[in-house]
Order: sequence, then structure tokens, then C-alpha cells
Amino acid sequence: MNGKTVIPFGPQHPVLPEPLQLKLVMQDEKIVEAIPAIGYVHRGLEKLTETKEFTQNVFVIERICGICSFKHALAYCQGMENLMGIEVPDRARFLRVIWGELHRMHSHLLWLGLLADAFGFESLFMQAWRDREKVMDIMEATAGSRVIISTNQIGGTRRDISPEMLAKIVDVVNDVKEDIERVEKVFCNDYTVKHRMVGIGVLSKENAKLWGAVGPMARGSGIAEDVRTLGYAAYGELDLEPVVETDGDCYARMKVRLRELYQSIDLIKQAIAKIPEGPINVPVKGNPNGEVISRVEQPRGEALYYMRANGGKTLDRLRVRTPTFANIPTLLKMLPGHHLADVPILILTIDPCISCTER
Amino acid sequence: MIENVTNIPLESLLGHVQDMLFSGYRFITATSVDNGDGTIDVLYHFDKELEMKHLRITVNKQDEIPSISGIYFGAVLVENEMKELFGLNIKNIVIDYGGHMLLSDEELDAPMSRQITIVNKDKGGEPQ
Repeated sequence: MNGKTVIPFGPQHPVLPEPLQLKLVMQDEKIVEAIPAIGYVHRGLEKLTETKEFTQNVFVIERICGICSFKHALAYCQGMENLMGIEVPDRARFLRVIWGELHRMHSHLLWLGLLADAFGFESLFMQAWRDREKVMDIMEATAGSRVIISTNQIGGTRRDISPEMLAKIVDVVNDVKEDIERVEKVFCNDYTVKHRMVGIGVLSKENAKLWGAVGPMARGSGIAEDVRTLGYAAYGELDLEPVVETDGDCYARMKVRLRELYQSIDLIKQAIAKIPEGPINVPVKGNPNGEVISRVEQPRGEALYYMRANGGKTLDRLRVRTPTFANIPTLLKMLPGHHLADVPILILTIDPCISCTER
Repeated sequence: MIENVTNIPLESLLGHVQDMLFSGYRFITATSVDNGDGTIDVLYHFDKELEMKHLRITVNKQDEIPSISGIYFGAVLVENEMKELFGLNIKNIVIDYGGHMLLSDEELDAPMSRQITIVNKDKGGEPQ
């Protein structure tokens, strides 16, 4: 049979937490082309930031995404601080690392649970999300809320963490580490998991670079790039090596995220060991003027912020390029040649965040 | 404030982008900014081992801009987005949604291209 069939995948699908549609052009059981349809959750947040004062924008930015809200706020605040020449207190820089890595942990644990759910491993899903709850509880204890924690502000952080709480965080992440070591054996060695992931969705290092892949997508294909190594916040004072796998398949991307969990735990403990005493923020004086670019490493990869201001209280432009926006073209190139049954896992391994993508 | 920005004429865009590809740069994204005087700045951002370079073109709203998606496929989404939200006349995008990637028929045309001025009425209508 040589005829082609178009199968709409999504926007509502059990493996998609958010609405994304792929029009899959099939020949027999194999995909020959994939065309995305997005726009279901476009909110115009970039435009909204032009109507708010630059200090208020932190609250808008945090609502781009519930999973990496802290990282969005961090990218924005760092950009504004660079533009206005604000020197952030040392303690705030370390607090940003602690909350930032907690966000990476809960994002990766969420993703591992969704992955397990996608191939029908319900008990593994439950184990991953049970550990995520422990991280979310730290958010609540330190910031008063679990998802959008609103601890960043231009000039530092809005909240501090007490020494007792820092000690408790160390206990919790050690506890989570033991749990991860247990579930890691299943994720890495179980026959079902390997059967669904090994050799599926292979992305070469050359293609990852050519198509613009970022984050665990790129690092799973052997690209040793992580924006944190530029040293923003307090990362420059901590031991940090990008986590890299070289096979480039779905399994490699999963292993990158698993290993990054251990890396985050290590960074949190390093930051807590080195955090200095002192103030957590400085006052913001004047208005921003000029243009600036700020980059951070979110759980899904590099996010880029561009801001232009003219000396007034509002910005002329705020542009956000999120990691999923960069990884979707790569997904489109990877899908042809695969079976329809592989599509859910392939989509999941880019860890798509549609709220981020559409803003 | 932004380092490594090269201002280039529109006509040489594809040549410069091709050079970036040959030099081993990854395409990050593009940014368009309405200058408020009928022109739009388009910045193309590239990265090589975490060092960024940027190309800037300044175009009139009706100018025809060649798509770079034939060189960097990763530009497909952002070029469609700029075409819809800023009304840029980008030609030959590899996957062209014809202005309907994000927006429906009922939406405003090029909603991001309009500049908003906040006026504080308590201060005699002085724009801020």
C-alpha cells in the first residue's frame, strides 16, 4: 500500500499534559512527515509585559510556566540587574542556586513520572511523583507556595532561608537521593523501559547542533554545553560539569535527566555549605535604559531573554525564547522513519512545555 | 549593552547566516523589536561553545525578508511567529503557516507591532 494517511496526534492525548497537535503523515505504519499545530494556549504575555512597570513584570514572567517559574524570573531579574548595574548580594546568589536546583529536581521527577506513565508503568510513575512531593514540600516551607514561589526580585531575593531550614533541606535531598537510587535501577535496567527507549529517536551530535537542540536533548547527543557553566548566580563558585550521554536516543536523554537529579542534589548541598551571611537584596533605583540579553539553564535547557528599555518604567520589548521552542523543530526532524507507537515516547523525551513555547 | 552585534544590510542576510553555519554556530532564535518609527529591528542570535553572536537588520514593515529556515531549520517557528505577531513579510519559510500558527482569523493583525504608551493622568498626561 503506497497511499499516505494523515493522523492527528493531539491536541488532547493521554501523554500530553498540555495541548500540542502533530499532524503525522503516515505511510503504512511509518511516519514520513510531521507538522505541528500550536497556538492553543497563547496568552500574549510578552505584550503584557510592555504594559506593566519593569518591577511588576517578575510576576508576569513567573506565569509563563508553572514548572520552571523560578528560572524564568531568574533570567528576567538577572537581565534587568545587568542593564541597571545592580550588584546582587552574595547570599541572594546562593539562594537562587538552591531554589533553582530544587526546581530542576521537581521538573525532572515530574518528567520521569510522566515517562513511566506513558509506557504504562504506573507504579514507577507513583514512585517518581512521591519523591517530587518531598521537593514541593520544601518549596512550600521556604516560600509559602508550591508552584509559583515568587522568591526572586530585581536586586536579589524576596525571602531568606533560615539555617534550620537549610539543614532540613540537606536531610530531604539526601532522602530523595536514596529514593532515586532505587528507582534508577528500574528506569535503567527494566526490560520494558529499555525496549521502548533504546535505539529510538536517535539524534546525532551534528544534527542536534544543526537543528538547534538544547538542554538534555543536546547533552544526550554528546554536546557538553550547559549555560550554568557561564557562572551566573553562584554557579561560578560551585563544582559543575555538564552531564553528557553520547548515544543520542530516548534512553540517553532519560539518563541525562536522571544523572542531573544527582547533580542538582550535589549543587544544593554545595551551595548550602558555602552560603554566606548577609543581606538578601538591594534597593532598585532609577529606570532601565538600553538592551540586554540574559540566559539561564532551565530544566528543559537554555532559555534566552532579550529586553529593551528606554529609560521609562515600562519596557519597549521583552522577548523570551524557551527551550521547548528550540526543541520542537528537532522533534519534527526526528519523527520521520519511526512507528506511530514510538511517537508518545519521542515527544516526551523533549520534555515539551507548551505554556513556555507559546507564552 | 549587547556584545558581538553586527549590523548588516537586509540584502546580505542570507550570506551572513550561511557564514555562521559554516563557522559552526548554532542558531538560538530571532527577536523582532518595533522601533516605533515604522521600522523593525530583527536580531538573529547564534551561539558557539556558549559565546553568542548577533546579526541585526533594520527593515521597513513592508520589506521582503528572506527566510533563513532553509539554512537553519530551527528558525521555522520563530519566523512564523514574527510574521504573525509583527506583520513581517518573511518569504519562503520551510513550513509557512500563512499567519495562523498562533492566531485565529478573529485576532488582530500583527498585535505585537503596536507600541503602547502608558499615560499617567495624575502627572498631566506625561508619557512614562
